[in-house]
Amino acid sequence: MKPLSQRSGYLRIAILLAVLALVAAACGSSSKAKKSSTAASTAPANVPNGGTLTIGAEQEPDCADWIDNCAGASWGTWTMEAHTMPRAFEMVNENGDWVYKPSILLQGEPTLQAGPPQVVTYKINPAAKWSDGTPITSEDFKYTWDQIAHGKNIYDTTGYRDIGSVDTPSPDTAVVTFKNSYGGWKGLFGGQYGVFPSHILAGKDRDALMKNGYTWSGGPWIIQSWQKNVSVTLVPNPNYWGEKPHLDKVIFQFVPDTASEFQNFKTGQVLAIYPQPQPDAVAAIQGGLPDANAYYTADTANLEALWFNNSKFPFDSKAVRQAIGYSLDRNAIVQRLFGPLGVKNPMNTLDPPILKQFTDTSAWSQYKLDLKKVDSVMTADGWAKGSDGFWAKGGKRADIEIKTTAGNKRRELTEQIIQDQLKAAGFNVTTNNQKAGDLFGTQLPAGDFEVGLYAQVSTQLDPADCALFCSSNIPTAANGNTGQNWQRVNIPAVDPLLATVDSALDLSTRATADKQAMKILADNNVALPIDPLPNILLWSKRIVGQVTDHPIFSMFWNMNTWGLK
Amino acid sequence: MLTYITRRVLYSIPVIFVASFLLFAFVRATFDPTAHLRASRTAAEAIKSERKRLNLDKPTVVQYSDWLKKFVRGDWGTSERTHERVFAMIRRSLWVTTQLIFWGVLVSALLAIAMGVYSAVRQYSALDYTLTGLSFVALAMPPFWFGLIAIQFLSADLKNVFHLQEPLFYSIGLHKPGVTGLNVDYLRHLALPVMTLTVQIVAGWGRYQRAAMLDVMSADYVRTARAKGVPRRRVIFKHALRNALIPLVTVMALDIGVLFGGLIITETIFSIPGMGRLFFDSLLRGDATVLVSWTVVTALFIVLFNLLADVAYGWLDPRIRFS
Repeated sequence: MKPLSQRSGYLRIAILLAVLALVAAACGSSSKAKKSSTAASTAPANVPNGGTLTIGAEQEPDCADWIDNCAGASWGTWTMEAHTMPRAFEMVNENGDWVYKPSILLQGEPTLQAGPPQVVTYKINPAAKWSDGTPITSEDFKYTWDQIAHGKNIYDTTGYRDIGSVDTPSPDTAVVTFKNSYGGWKGLFGGQYGVFPSHILAGKDRDALMKNGYTWSGGPWIIQSWQKNVSVTLVPNPNYWGEKPHLDKVIFQFVPDTASEFQNFKTGQVLAIYPQPQPDAVAAIQGGLPDANAYYTADTANLEALWFNNSKFPFDSKAVRQAIGYSLDRNAIVQRLFGPLGVKNPMNTLDPPILKQFTDTSAWSQYKLDLKKVDSVMTADGWAKGSDGFWAKGGKRADIEIKTTAGNKRRELTEQIIQDQLKAAGFNVTTNNQKAGDLFGTQLPAGDFEVGLYAQVSTQLDPADCALFCSSNIPTAANGNTGQNWQRVNIPAVDPLLATVDSALDLSTRATADKQAMKILADNNVALPIDPLPNILLWSKRIVGQVTDHPIFSMFWNMNTWGLK
Repeated sequence: MLTYITRRVLYSIPVIFVASFLLFAFVRATFDPTAHLRASRTAAEAIKSERKRLNLDKPTVVQYSDWLKKFVRGDWGTSERTHERVFAMIRRSLWVTTQLIFWGVLVSALLAIAMGVYSAVRQYSALDYTLTGLSFVALAMPPFWFGLIAIQFLSADLKNVFHLQEPLFYSIGLHKPGVTGLNVDYLRHLALPVMTLTVQIVAGWGRYQRAAMLDVMSADYVRTARAKGVPRRRVIFKHALRNALIPLVTVMALDIGVLFGGLIITETIFSIPGMGRLFFDSLLRGDATVLVSWTVVTALFIVLFNLLADVAYGWLDPRIRFS
């Protein structure tokens, strides 16, 4: 046995060596000194090739079978789907409006015959091929429609169920004939789903082949690996016929905690993050993020609102719904939530910002804090304030219960503000927050709520408001309790207008009908829009390329054009 | 000793049955395994067939019995959230958590024993007061706060101070994507989560060890050994420490059992895909099939480590097994 002093000497040397090894390992990949770049929101002339980009992803998708119920998470689209699934149309920002443009999958704009029946003929780009070299053909369109319209456990069949047939007169021509006219047809074979490879999947169990990731691609990237709970790794698709990626590899690392996500961004372990607009995130941004570019935008596909149950007391009263609109200072709410991000104005329509070309963006603008108006509207409807200061009618107080997703700090903060403001107006408000699965899976469809605070997120450039507000979509036994009109809005004048929005093929006809419908919905205050849930883009100055937001496909939509310095 | 162990094992069997039934019934009453199908347009039909497949229309006891038979055979069902086999999900998460627990317990035990012995032997010394004070500070520090502070100082700030391209200590996962094995990358990933995990455990176990050591140091047989001229170091490590470890070993065994399901915060902060993360993700998404198996597996670990605590106690102190 060695003497203690000698052993501790060895110990010190061992510790020193270990520390040096760690420092050496940390410095090992150090390259040239970092240089501050200009804002990377414009495309640079030369994008470097090579390198691995690591990105922090807040949520792991549950599965990669994009049409299945398990694939509802946006992060699935942002990490894998958008980069591997070919789409017939791209959503692009043109002069401030988000519009559909034919993608490089097509030879140009498809031919539309208004009909009836409505017929769309797609001409497929002969250069378009899957990663295994097989051309993308009309059979792939037919297979995609068949799976979505007739498959099991499909997340959303909207539009595809209106198709009567897909004919394939030649490999590069797909003729889609609709049973019912469908105004949002440009969102089909793209949008949230894309086109599936029939030569790989036909006759097989699609879900089994795709749910854990797949090896084929029709986009700029291929999924190299999906290590569950850890990361998704993408590598360039050598057979992509568009702009090939500059980077060697992109790794999405799953970092579910917002606070750690920001810490990891600060340490440089992840070079880009796309955090939810939670109070933690806003506070972290205010705290400063060195060597980072930041961009915030309210031009999103999100709309957070107070969704009233129009069939339940006290919200079965139009006067109460209107009075709530005049009781809240929505400007103050938005300022409190997102003021530091420069988002200060509330939403005044029930369509998200990316659909502004369809909607009346000032339909709800009359609802501003006005306690005198609250008194006059409520009194005219027979309500009176009791000795406790709260409104009551026929001995029944207009108490309000708000439900939202438990644990969501932004929504809990919103509830607190609303509680205070409504109390001042004479409404007693309680909160009863729920697990997301219970709220969206059970309680809202069953009408077991008075007010729900949550967001509607659009996955395509189509209002699809009939699903939310047409009386035929109130969940009933007749529609298998699957209608999405959880607010139980039942206004006969609105139904034909929103049906026109769904079925008309002309944009201006659709927009006119939508604007008229929004006016009526606003007058009845069936729900009260609050804010657009801004998108937050944070990226390292090491990233070279045009970094901009895409409201459906996130800030990573064009990362095939990015490089690293 | 064998009789003692057999008796303890037999006691554990009904505990496992009762615990697993209660957990099964509780999860079934709280979560609906068909909730994920409600968004579908074909919900009514899909829910009906899924309820039939899962025997949800039968009494809970029958459901439990069916579930238990499959559970024993390793058929733990399929996750409603990911469509993955639950057995594979739990096995994967368990391996990750086991690594964290192994390193955490190893480091904690060494530090806690060293601190406890020193504080007891040098009672009321400056270092004893310092260690006692630090223990209280550590016990008062919530792991989520400590973890984030550790990332800030030991990862972000160190990187900036030394102008490193990468941080010295990582804070995402146990390896870089694509890297495996016991290597420098692993150690750089392990350092901060193990530190976060151990800081409170060391403080707690250290206090235990100190109290046990003080107790033993004042025992007659220790005084006798000293009076007979046995060297101090030998008295401390050979005579006193062995007996003073008995209560700590019991506490350790009980704590380890709880850790298998109790690392939610550490695993969330450091994005480590272990049992805690699996529970948290499944709870948020109402994944009933995973939750049933997860709760039963963690309960099994608690029962198992309670059993080990009993056995260890009986092995270290013969009076227990003969009483």
